[in-house]
Amino acid sequence: MAAKTPKRIGRYKILGELGRGAMGVVYKAEDPALDRVVALKTISLAAADGRKDYEKRFMLEAKAAGKLTHPNIVTIFDFGEEDDLAYMAMELLEGTELRARMREGTIPAAESVDIALQVAEGLAFAHEHGIVHRDVKPGNIMLLERGPVKIMDFGIARMRHADHKTSAGMVLGTPRYMSPEQITGQPVDQRSDIFSLGVVLHEMLTGGSLFAGQDVDQIAHNVNYLEHAPPSRSNREVPQMLDFVVARALKKDPAVRYQDAYEMCADLRDALAELKGRAPARASDETERTQTLKMEAGAKEAPLAPAASQIVADTRLPLSRQFDSAAALERLEKPSRNDRKRLAHAPRPVGLPRRIWSDALPRRLFAAAVVAGCLGALAAFA
Amino acid sequence: MASTPASVYATVVFLRIPEFARRPATEQTRLRAQLESALAVAIADMSEAGRIVLDAADGIVLAVLGDPRAALRVTERTLAAGAAGLPLGAGVTHGAVRPAGENGGGLLGDGIAVAAGISALAGPSKILLTKEFRDALADAAPGAEASLVKAGTHTDASLRAHQLFHRDPRAARARGRRYALAGAFLVLALVGAGVGYRVSLEGAQGFADRVSATLRAGAHALAQRLGR
Repeated sequence: MAAKTPKRIGRYKILGELGRGAMGVVYKAEDPALDRVVALKTISLAAADGRKDYEKRFMLEAKAAGKLTHPNIVTIFDFGEEDDLAYMAMELLEGTELRARMREGTIPAAESVDIALQVAEGLAFAHEHGIVHRDVKPGNIMLLERGPVKIMDFGIARMRHADHKTSAGMVLGTPRYMSPEQITGQPVDQRSDIFSLGVVLHEMLTGGSLFAGQDVDQIAHNVNYLEHAPPSRSNREVPQMLDFVVARALKKDPAVRYQDAYEMCADLRDALAELKGRAPARASDETERTQTLKMEAGAKEAPLAPAASQIVADTRLPLSRQFDSAAALERLEKPSRNDRKRLAHAPRPVGLPRRIWSDALPRRLFAAAVVAGCLGALAAFA
Repeated sequence: MASTPASVYATVVFLRIPEFARRPATEQTRLRAQLESALAVAIADMSEAGRIVLDAADGIVLAVLGDPRAALRVTERTLAAGAAGLPLGAGVTHGAVRPAGENGGGLLGDGIAVAAGISALAGPSKILLTKEFRDALADAAPGAEASLVKAGTHTDASLRAHQLFHRDPRAARARGRRYALAGAFLVLALVGAGVGYRVSLEGAQGFADRVSATLRAGAHALAQRLGR
């Protein structure tokens, strides 16, 4: 049974419920002091281990997050606690969660990049101030009606993952958007947020779930070992450059990932410029748009293009889209008798007779030896 | 039921852009386009039925069917064409590959893995070749392998040791000189042995008289022929 909505939390007058999560409820509330309507996020402290520490940590995180004033970050006005509830009053946003927008279908590439760019700018600002989000996911990104993209829930993720357990023992956070280091419980830094944003960008561009799995173990395995397919393989609208951006953001090793979000912003800006540059031609060609959708269905089986260091004997490399290899593949699939003979065997060692017959220098040496032998015989016996 | 295509032996060239993952996306795009253009020019005179081009995250893989010399030529041309601002290293081997399923699923095989492994060792503008490639080159064109010289040994992830080579045109010239010297020595030895045998039978004076008589008779015959 749903808990009864309180009439007031702290100084805030509750106007209604906006949403409910595993850790608490988000209310629409009014701040009577400023006559301002806010979103009031509450977190239940009842189930927290080491409550004192937890409260202290919450205050520290909320204080740090409250200092972040950036167009792409939800502004935190106030925080506090009352009874078993910690609360945070923040800007009330009128818009759509990215999660809901993604459910409607694949987001056009230019729009996806624009969203990712704004998120990256917000993250870069936060990272610069020493705050790592730790839970970048579509559910924490809000698309405003006529305004910027906003990142929500700064400062809360750390408490969720590190200190808070639910009574049912369920996993908090969103494993399929976590970086390999985060999902394996290692220390994380700003590069972990970059990985998560890479996952979000990939999913916006392809419309699929990148590291989906049936349980947390399977997701963790996928996050750690599954190499993503370049988005352009399932969405022809995606330029190659964007493949590179996604690939770099999704590097398993943080050392070769983007080292900061500003670096990713620069690449996203270039990709956006490229997409905008070719947008009019694309928009006017509806036939091409239909073809793109048709290709998406079959493209899910497209193999990946791993880097040299990841290739082993059973790694399959995809055909290049720039070169036509159909004739040679046909030759491999239906080899002629001659090909069966030539291509099916390892190279033969070159014996002396073939060496003399085919190699100019040994042939000349052999001829010289024959001539010299004849002359020597003539001198000896004639 | 469709059978799986069997493995074939092909020359696999892994053209790799070093440090690709660390470069900004704009540079990655430029380098990739530059590599594709350079390769397109290099393989222009190669039959389409003789090569398969594959994508890798940090480069391009070319599998050449049945012509190791052409593979080496294309590799050198690509590196030369891309010299302007395109850092590129190449690993070349001759090994097993097979189509990975139907509908253009790409290729897989040990040949690709080995070429990928050694390409990581090749510095910019360098080509590293395996002994398997050297053997294939020798099989296709005996003598062509003479320009390949040892560059070291590489142990891969499967603990297999690969003997590596690089191309050095001076090695072919040195081989030519060695053969010329060996030829001269052989001629001298065989003719000298014949002469020595004769001297041992007739003595030095006897042999000298015989040679001088033969030369005189030859000169006389020549003079008569010219006088006529």
